[in-house]
Amino acid sequence: MTVAIQDLDFEALAAKQQVVQKGVPVKFIFAIFISAIWLVPFYYLIISVFKTTEEYSVNHPLSLPSGITPVFGNAVVAWQQAKMGAGLLNSMLYGVVGAGLAVFFAALASYGLSRIDFRRKNFWFMLIFAGTVFPFQMYLIPLFFGYQKLGILNSQLGMLLIYTAICIPFPVLVLRNYMNGLSREMDEAARMDGAKEFSVFWHIILPNCRGPMTATFLLQFTWIWNDLLFSTVLGNRTEVRSIMNALQVFQGSYSSTGPNVVLTATIIASVPSVLLFFLLRRHFMEGMRVSSI
Amino acid sequence: MMAATHLSADNNELLERISWSQIEANERRLQRRNFWVAFAFMSPAILLVTTFLLTPVVYNIFLSFTRWKKFKGLDEFAGTANYVKLVTNRLFADALYNTSLWVGASIIFPLVIGFGLAVFLRGVALERTFKSIIFLPRIFAPTAVGVIWFYVYAPDGVVNRFLSFFAGGEVDIGWLYQSDTVTPAIIATFVWQTVGLVMVLILLGLSAIPKDPLEAARIDGASSGQVFVRIILPLLLPTLLVVTILSVLAGFTVFDLLWIMGAANPELRTLSLAVFMYFEAFQKGSWAFGSSIAVVIGAVVLSVTWLQALLQHRVDKMIR
Repeated sequence: MTVAIQDLDFEALAAKQQVVQKGVPVKFIFAIFISAIWLVPFYYLIISVFKTTEEYSVNHPLSLPSGITPVFGNAVVAWQQAKMGAGLLNSMLYGVVGAGLAVFFAALASYGLSRIDFRRKNFWFMLIFAGTVFPFQMYLIPLFFGYQKLGILNSQLGMLLIYTAICIPFPVLVLRNYMNGLSREMDEAARMDGAKEFSVFWHIILPNCRGPMTATFLLQFTWIWNDLLFSTVLGNRTEVRSIMNALQVFQGSYSSTGPNVVLTATIIASVPSVLLFFLLRRHFMEGMRVSSI
Repeated sequence: MMAATHLSADNNELLERISWSQIEANERRLQRRNFWVAFAFMSPAILLVTTFLLTPVVYNIFLSFTRWKKFKGLDEFAGTANYVKLVTNRLFADALYNTSLWVGASIIFPLVIGFGLAVFLRGVALERTFKSIIFLPRIFAPTAVGVIWFYVYAPDGVVNRFLSFFAGGEVDIGWLYQSDTVTPAIIATFVWQTVGLVMVLILLGLSAIPKDPLEAARIDGASSGQVFVRIILPLLLPTLLVVTILSVLAGFTVFDLLWIMGAANPELRTLSLAVFMYFEAFQKGSWAFGSSIAVVIGAVVLSVTWLQALLQHRVDKMIR
């Protein structure tokens, strides 16, 4: 298609251009407006933490605090009453060990599913993958009974077992696809040289899977850290409570402390996973890309 | 030529000497060996998944057909009694109604707003900053978000202060204390938290669309509306499908946000099927009845997943 120069209406084009340029500030202001709405709860969260309980109850919820020192008092009260030390340690244990074991077991299974030839591969893959199909509600009652019978209800071991199991299927999906894409020449050569299967896995495949393993580990760690359901049902004793469960119990306990203290506890509970996100944003985005496809 | 015939004669001799059954046996032995090696690699995953996930599902289905026999401590077969009880239960109907509301709202609002923002924020100054701000709530746990908004909605909280600023008088609505406002209020929080993720997923989908057909259509004089409906939307269909299905599944299983924010509402137990199930099983101790609710949730989730697989197949075919 060709356009004759004389057909072009330069004035109209210029006007259009102007509209476009004028449109930007309006859009920009609207974007600021939307962001402001989005940020209000965070602003409220942060200023409330710096208020004493009395200050909080008297002043407007969005008013600036008069000082910054009350935050220390709030943190101490929250830490002691919500048993946050134990909560943070427990969640760290569940998150690091649970997600770590899950990703390692998933890598092992993916190796078997992608690098070794045997029949009915699909059956075994589907068996593992079936663990993502059912809603969590279907696990709760049998697990509660089973745990009671085994004596691991309200124990750290019990929590670790369910978190590890539940975090296996998704990494298997991701890692199996990834390993299928890796060249077979390396491991064939190693096998020719007489390497054992496990050392092929350990020395050749695993080092090549660092990227997707980190991404899936972070996703599963965050999921465990944020979980409330399993912790409420299977680990509801002060000593084994995860941090989110401790926060929930603290908020619901109608203690004498005000919202300012509960909000301080909320920040303490959120800092680790939020910090992790900002430090390793690239890996999280990779994980999200992987999980949406 | 000579060499070739010589070789083939040799081969024939060789072929006669090979015993095929021997080869087959070797092949089978290798397969069997490979299977056991692979199984060794898969065994931790298989063991954990079957013990802690699949067996419970089977046992849950079994439980839903039983009734707790007092004093005997035995599960007595009860046929479909639990399901009959479900159908006639007023609370179950309420929970189902609220869950449907949830699912509908959690599809429409995040999708529309997320899509709108993804398109709107393109090319705006500080685009990345704005996107990060919209995504920010997603980094927080639903429990933390629930606690923050619990106080935002308080009678003397931020929302009511805003409203009284505009209304000119004192507003003190107990958003989370009344049955008719609690679900919309929690949905608003859910939207606030999820829109960022939906927006990012849509942006990922948009960035995967090839530029050539768009250019071609524009040069041929298509309006931007036509380009959007005829080209962008069909190519974005897989992304939209994934987002929709994720919302449906999340809507049917949502627990944390409702549990935290609904705590003040007297009708907390009917806020969703997941909460209703938790109440019946772990607060009232109606295990068999609770497990039948879990089966209903499972049936819905499975059919939605199945539907997704079906639609995905269709969409993939359509695009090709």
